[in-house]
Amino acid sequence: MNPELLRNLWLEASPIRLALIAGLVLLVFAAASAVPPQWGSAESAAQVLYWFFVVLWGTRNAALSVVAEIRERTWDGQKLSSIGPVQMMWGKLLGSTAANWFGGLLCLPPMVAPVLAGQGPRAALLYAGMMLALGLFAQAAALLSSLMLVRRNTGNWRLDTFLCQVAGIAAAFSYFTLWRSLDAFQTSGAETLVWWGQVFNLRAFHLVSLMVFLTWALIGCWRMMRAELRFANGPFVWLAYLAFLCVYEAGFAPWLVHRLHLDAAPLFDTILRLVMAVFTLTATTYSMVFLEPKGPVRMRWLGEQLRAEHLRRAFLALDAWMLSYGAALAASLVLVALLMARGSPLVLPAAALPGFLTRDVAIFVLVRGVAQGKGDLAALAILGALYVLVPLILRGAGLEALLALFLPRLGAPPLTVIAAWAQGLVMAWLALRSIRPGIREKLKAA
Amino acid sequence: MIVLRDLVFDYPGHRALHGVSLRVEPRTITALVGPNGAGKTTLLRCMAALETPYAGSVTIDGLDTREAPRAIHARLGYLPDFFGLYDVLSVRRCLHYAARAHGIGSAQAAGAAEAAAARVGLADRMEQAAGALSRGLRQRLAIAQAIVHQPAVLLLDEPAAGLDPRARRDLSRLLLELRADGMTLVVSSHILAELEDYSSRMIIVDQGRIAGGQAITVRDAAAARLRLSLAAPHDGLADFLARQPGVTVIAADAAGALLTLRGDAPERAALLAALVGAGFAVSAFAEDARALEDVYFAQVTSGERKP
Repeated sequence: MNPELLRNLWLEASPIRLALIAGLVLLVFAAASAVPPQWGSAESAAQVLYWFFVVLWGTRNAALSVVAEIRERTWDGQKLSSIGPVQMMWGKLLGSTAANWFGGLLCLPPMVAPVLAGQGPRAALLYAGMMLALGLFAQAAALLSSLMLVRRNTGNWRLDTFLCQVAGIAAAFSYFTLWRSLDAFQTSGAETLVWWGQVFNLRAFHLVSLMVFLTWALIGCWRMMRAELRFANGPFVWLAYLAFLCVYEAGFAPWLVHRLHLDAAPLFDTILRLVMAVFTLTATTYSMVFLEPKGPVRMRWLGEQLRAEHLRRAFLALDAWMLSYGAALAASLVLVALLMARGSPLVLPAAALPGFLTRDVAIFVLVRGVAQGKGDLAALAILGALYVLVPLILRGAGLEALLALFLPRLGAPPLTVIAAWAQGLVMAWLALRSIRPGIREKLKAA
Repeated sequence: MIVLRDLVFDYPGHRALHGVSLRVEPRTITALVGPNGAGKTTLLRCMAALETPYAGSVTIDGLDTREAPRAIHARLGYLPDFFGLYDVLSVRRCLHYAARAHGIGSAQAAGAAEAAAARVGLADRMEQAAGALSRGLRQRLAIAQAIVHQPAVLLLDEPAAGLDPRARRDLSRLLLELRADGMTLVVSSHILAELEDYSSRMIIVDQGRIAGGQAITVRDAAAARLRLSLAAPHDGLADFLARQPGVTVIAADAAGALLTLRGDAPERAALLAALVGAGFAVSAFAEDARALEDVYFAQVTSGERKP
């Protein structure tokens, strides 16, 4: 057996703990059966318990599976072991949540039984599969978040665990809300969905999407675990994920055209897909530049590799935010070219957007460099001021026309492109200077 | 066995290691000493392939830590300065897990756990929870976990910290046994007096550099370490000593020297006679237990004077 799974089972799934969980579940079911039906049923009690065991408590245990090792100073020992990243990931994901799954599986039959009775075995199987995948998705999201925070080395394990738990719960809850909202779609007669021109059953598409995103979450955990265990990751999996995201979202473009009553000309269809890709890549750039460490030492090392023309080594060591940023720039360039060819007025904000993105990314690197490895929240505050306070002030002063100098806006004058790129290039120059050694001392002296 | 070349390690805001180069020979015990914050732990973590250096290289058995960290992990055991144990698990389960985690098959893991426990004197406590062990016994369990897969290299960061005198003596014995079994050990320590019990070479790390630029021979079974003092300073002392057969100069200046001399009483008498015959006003010539400490403080103090 996987040694990491075995150790976690020793720690987490002791016979006493399992007996207590079974006793609690039985007690709740008995109470639910004894109360009047309007107060609740065994099904609703099982649902609440499933969410408690698998999602609420399970995400905490999944997040703690690495954070607690660091807190208890056993992580170095694990990193030095021969356990591979796949074994380590599954051992932690399933082992640390073994007791949670025990409780969750006890709750599953009472949850599925009414679906089986009302809608038949296929629907029941679909529902059970969805709940199991949902639980694993929540826990994988929590583990993935914890592995990302571990790289940031915040030192605040309580807050880290809580944030990872929130990430896992949010992932599960958002998906479950969508699943529930399908009932409303179906009652309105929309049982199918068109994606890349193909018609799919709504629930089946939804479940397959969950499975696909669960797979990506597991791949993310595996890659982060590889990095922790000192394997080199390379950029290709992240690039594949970005490509998947763009293709997945672009599949909904015709549906959007239909819903928003947009121009359905073929070129516009392509432009819409590109716009969606640019937004997706921009969003991933912002999230990754916030989440990833951006250590000045590492940035300096990358710079030295470039200077020494070790291009392959530098490319293989690029962080996810750098790849996302590069992809966003490339997609923006293609979009601008297409919009120019069409003579669209959208070309100005499309050309300004990567300039503002460059500025914002550089702010993260700059603040991190000056603060020597910290300062992401300060960077976030600066962006908050740029995107919230500055517009408020300008609007209050009746200078709304100047807004286009600070953020991308539809209908902006050509000056917005110059302003965006001027800010972007200046901030990038400052960011590059900030990763030089001794910058903090120089600033203090100044 | 372990070769460090121009190793540079940066933390955000400061450089922890400034181009450290050293070589650790197989089947030796090398002590890393130095003040707090000197860079000992960073050096050990770089050797353990737990940290990636900014520049330079660490190779163990010819494997580069940057290129093949996992292959290096399989060859070494590492005990951090602040280590953790799975307190709820019994000693047996802790060691069984450590064995399995280091790639020992399930059929052999029980035997490996028993052997490691016996080696550190925990064979009679296999069913005791790790959390119930005393500080000294926890240290032994942690070492047993690090050696359960019989690594070629063992890195120990402050293993004697917090141990009582008896536990320290046991630790020294254990380290010597492991070396006798063929392991190469690098031990970081603050306790200079005990280094002589087990280590063969001492490396003083100060402000991220090897003080004096090289390792110092601590103990040689065939060569006594002697302290020589002169009543009148003589600039030619170091050169004279270096020319004498069997002599290795550890440190020397015009007023005296610390040296090792291969041989026994006759060789010692011959050296003394040669010194006196050459006009050196010898005022003291004897084995010196405090010499190591003197060398350490001389190196560290000279480091402090650097701008």
